Amino acid sequence: MAFYRGQQGSVKFDDAGSSAATITSTRSWSMTVEKESLDTTALGATYRANVGGLISGSGTCEVLYTASSADETNAFIEMVNTANDEGAALFELYMDTTGTKKISFDGVITSAEYSATVGEIEVITLNFVTNGAITLDI
Amino acid sequence: MAAVDLNTVRSTIEGRLATELALSPAIPVIFHNQPYTPTPSNSWVQCLVSFGNNNYLTMGGTSGSSNSVIGVVVINVFTAKGVGPGANLTIGKRVRDLYNRILVSGVHFDPPTGPEVVANPSPEGFFQTQVRLTFETFEDL
Repeated sequence: MAFYRGQQGSVKFDDAGSSAATITSTRSWSMTVEKESLDTTALGATYRANVGGLISGSGTCEVLYTASSADETNAFIEMVNTANDEGAALFELYMDTTGTKKISFDGVITSAEYSATVGEIEVITLNFVTNGAITLDI
Repeated sequence: MAAVDLNTVRSTIEGRLATELALSPAIPVIFHNQPYTPTPSNSWVQCLVSFGNNNYLTMGGTSGSSNSVIGVVVINVFTAKGVGPGANLTIGKRVRDLYNRILVSGVHFDPPTGPEVVANPSPEGFFQTQVRLTFETFEDL
């Protein structure tokens, strides 16, 4: 049985929303896909009934700061400061770097925490939400 | 991008010490796996570089990824016995200042510990203190 370890994952991103490129210094990512539940319980029913509603996603990505401006990493960590963000940035979150197992969507980076602590590597934590369809190909 | 060359890291650390201790007043310095017969009452320094933990830094496989390579430097300072610690601590300060929070050739040195007095000097017949420090370098694959 094949299992995977975290280092096999990766993140690709494109602020223009066309061709995603690898974020080279990614330490971790996580994403939650949520579906709202709509209560359809009939009056007088004994058991509650629900149906699925709107689906959305949100998540976090940790990037080690490298001062690189040569790839998409710089756009990724500065995207939160972009005016008139239409949510067209392309995200691809891979479970396996060498494969095609990924979660892809357009999204918005909603926050970025830039941090520096003595004796530790500088880390930038980015939070995002999805915009529109989420494709699960995992 | 390549796997870290351990000998490059080692020579960075050792070379820095050798250069400093070649200055006046010069003090003999020896490294791992080198024969040395100390002269009684003469100061000398032993520098031992060891590599320890290696950790994942970033996602990725054998290319486009980074690791952390951590090691420790142990520096033993030997001076004449029975004449107090002054001469020893003078050398200890030279050693400590050489690495304290320094970033050189991609090697990050943490604040040193010591010089700590070693209760049972090895070899005997000297007053011995020890300076220890950890270092970290990054391996880009």
